[in-house]
This record gives sequence, C-alpha cells and structure tokens, in this order.
Amino acid sequence: MQRTGLFLERVGFLQRLNPLTKLTGALLLIGAAFLLPTPLAGAALLVLALMPLAVASAVLRSFVDVLLKTLLPVILSLLLVQGLFFPGADPATIMLGPFAFRRAGLEFALTTASRLLIVAGAPLLIFQTTHPIILVQALTERGMPRSIGYILLVALQLIPAMSERAAGVAEAQRARGLETEGGLLQRARGVLPLVSPLIVGALVDAEERAMAIESRAFTAPGRKTWLHDVPDPPVERSARLVMWLALGALIVWRAAVAVV
Amino acid sequence: MATSTTSQRGGLNSTALALIPIAIAINVVLGQLVQNVLKLPIYLDSIGTVLVGILLGPLAGAITGLIANVIWGFTLAPSALPFAAVAAVIGVIAGYAGQYGAPHRWWLMALFGILTGIVAAAISAPIAAYVFGGVTGAGTDVLVATFQNLGASVLGASFAQGAVSDPLDKTITYLIVWAIVIALPRRLIARFGNLRQQ
Repeated sequence: MQRTGLFLERVGFLQRLNPLTKLTGALLLIGAAFLLPTPLAGAALLVLALMPLAVASAVLRSFVDVLLKTLLPVILSLLLVQGLFFPGADPATIMLGPFAFRRAGLEFALTTASRLLIVAGAPLLIFQTTHPIILVQALTERGMPRSIGYILLVALQLIPAMSERAAGVAEAQRARGLETEGGLLQRARGVLPLVSPLIVGALVDAEERAMAIESRAFTAPGRKTWLHDVPDPPVERSARLVMWLALGALIVWRAAVAVV
Repeated sequence: MATSTTSQRGGLNSTALALIPIAIAINVVLGQLVQNVLKLPIYLDSIGTVLVGILLGPLAGAITGLIANVIWGFTLAPSALPFAAVAAVIGVIAGYAGQYGAPHRWWLMALFGILTGIVAAAISAPIAAYVFGGVTGAGTDVLVATFQNLGASVLGASFAQGAVSDPLDKTITYLIVWAIVIALPRRLIARFGNLRQQ
C-alpha cells in the first residue's frame, strides 16, 4: 500500500505554524535561491535554513531521504548532460578519466542543482509538516474556492483506492491471457484493456458521487463552519509582512543592479 | 452570489466536483501503471485531464491538470509543481476539442493530440531549461544531450526533446480517450454536457 501523502505525524516548530506563514517562507526562499548572485545560494539556503527547520520540526531524516530520492537522478543527469554537452564557446575543460567535462557546463549544472534543492525542498518541507486538511482550510479561509479544496482532499484520498483497483484490473486481465511482459508492441497492446475498465468504472462512480454531493447540499450558498481551528497569531502575520517586504526588496535590488 | 443556484456555482456543478478528483486519481494511477507495469517509454499521465476537458469544458480541464500536478507534489515528487501550468493548458485545449466535437472522428482526436503535444513542449521547455537545466532524470535526457551535441542551446534542446516526445504521448492519450468516449452511454455524455453532439 502506498501512503496518501508526504505528511508525517510529528510535533515540532513548523507543525505549529499557520500554513500561510510556511507558504510565504517557501516563496521567499525560492525567490532568494534564484535572485541572490552568490554561486550555490540554493545549497547554502538548504544548509542554513531548510535543514535547521527540518531539525526543529523532527523530520530531518525523512526530509533528506525524500529530497535525495527525488533529486539525485536529476542532479546526476544534469552533471552528465550539461557537463559533457553544454553549448557555448568556453573551451575550458576538466578531464575526469576519459571524459572531458566543460567547465561552463559544470558551473551551469551546479547552479541549477543548487536552485533545485530549494525549488523541491521548500514545498517538500511544507508537505511533510502540514496536514492536507489544515492546508486546504487555511487557503479556503483566505478566499480559495471551497470546491478546489474539496477536489484536492478527495483526490488525495482516492489515489490509494484507485491504485488498488488498477492492480485488480491488471491481475484480472493477466488471468485472461493479457501479456504485460515481452516486446514493446506486445506491452503497448496492454494499454487499452488495462485503462478502459478503470475509467469506465470511475465514470459510473462519479455519477453516484455527484448525487451524494447534491444530497448533502455541498453547493448550497451560505456560510459554512469549520471542524478545526487554524490559529493565526499576530506574530505570524507580522512575520509574513516582513517576508513579503524582504522578497520585494530582493527583487527591486536585483532589478536596480541589472539596470546599472 | 444572489443569482447562484444549488447545482451551479463558480462554474463547477456537482457532476464536475465528483468527476474531477476521480480524473486526477486516474492521471496519477495510470501514469504509474504505464511506467511500472507496462514499462512503456511514454508518460500517459494526462488521460484524466483530457477526459475531463472533453466532457466538462476548458475550465474543468484546467483545474484538473493544475490540481493533479499539485497532488504529484504532495505525494511523490515536489519537482512536479513547476509544470502545473503546462498541465492546465493541456486541460484547456481538451475542453475546446470537446466543444469542437473532435471525439466523433478519430483523426480529429489524433490532430488535437499532436497540437497539444507541440503546445505542451513549447510551454514546458522554458520551465525545463530554466528551473531544471534541461533534464528530468528520466530516459528522455538522452535526447537533450543529443540535441545539445548537435549545437542546440539548453532551451532549444529542451524544446526539441519535448517536440519529439510530447506529440506522440498526447496523440496516444487522445486516442485512448477517444476509445473511451465513444464507448460511453449517451445518457452519461449528456449529463456531462461539454461535448458537442453529432
């Protein structure tokens, strides 16, 4: 069974924060990773900001684990493809065994890899420390349509169930002689018999679900109340303001440097 | 607000609310099935998006694509988030394909698939080049390397890679959706409403 999400049931610093504060922080970090002129700014931010936050939230091990699993193939591929085949006039090369790596390409690969650590790491840390229900509620209280929140939460719950059904369909079709191994063409022939039962079944489900939504007056107008309470203390509101100002200052400063 | 009715608010009625989460789950589950069980060199991770676009229209298609990528980010790989815009555009195009009545002719569906693939490649190339440095860690990176070796820039190679892989993937996606839609009972199609009747 696959898990429904990246969320981990832990107690720590980020778990106590309002999701909006975390989202603003992630935006600021991603902005900084792209805007700071220092080489490897992203890698520095990972060590100086994301990892201490992960420690304070008791998720460091799984944070590093998931980040590596997601990014290691990308970063390796980046170093190989851009290190060996980077377009550009810079002729400087670094020999590693029989391979001539281009210096400009390796620099480009490292800069991109370091930004990726933040682009993937900041959202990952939010997802690991925020229960989806709390995240959706905080966004809905700020004006996100309720229907979007509903879609998000239901889809998250449906994926494991659908996964199980897909495995069932695959087994049933194999029992009838469907080849899921062998040559490319043979495997390609398996697509429709696997896909169509799954989708047609899902469409019939959708009809029943629509009736359930209607009968519970989900689309009725009027104020709704919440089961949970998402606290938003004044400290966090001020912190968000400071982060927005910092991001704005960073953008203005970069634009000014670019003009001069 | 005063004019809203119980069945239609903010562009999404209860049928859309019921179908979209299911379509998102289809995207994710089939994307995994194709890669893990059949091990085919295509993604097929937008079947649900195209299906919703055709049955419910451009808005519903865009929402499906967008949220599907956010969910990818939630559950498996946060690096899928930057491509959410591409997924939304795929849904919008599918919505227009439905309004145009494309599912009544298989070759129209194939045409829309090719078109979607080219548009998707054009939008995802700057994201792939600027955020990911042109690579994704998948088998298609070999293509990027080849194009750069032939003299293309990182952006150019990213687009060329997309222009090779995406139209094929999206054409197959559209043809699968075609096979499903023509098999659906008319009652169901009428309920969904976007698809132009023949």
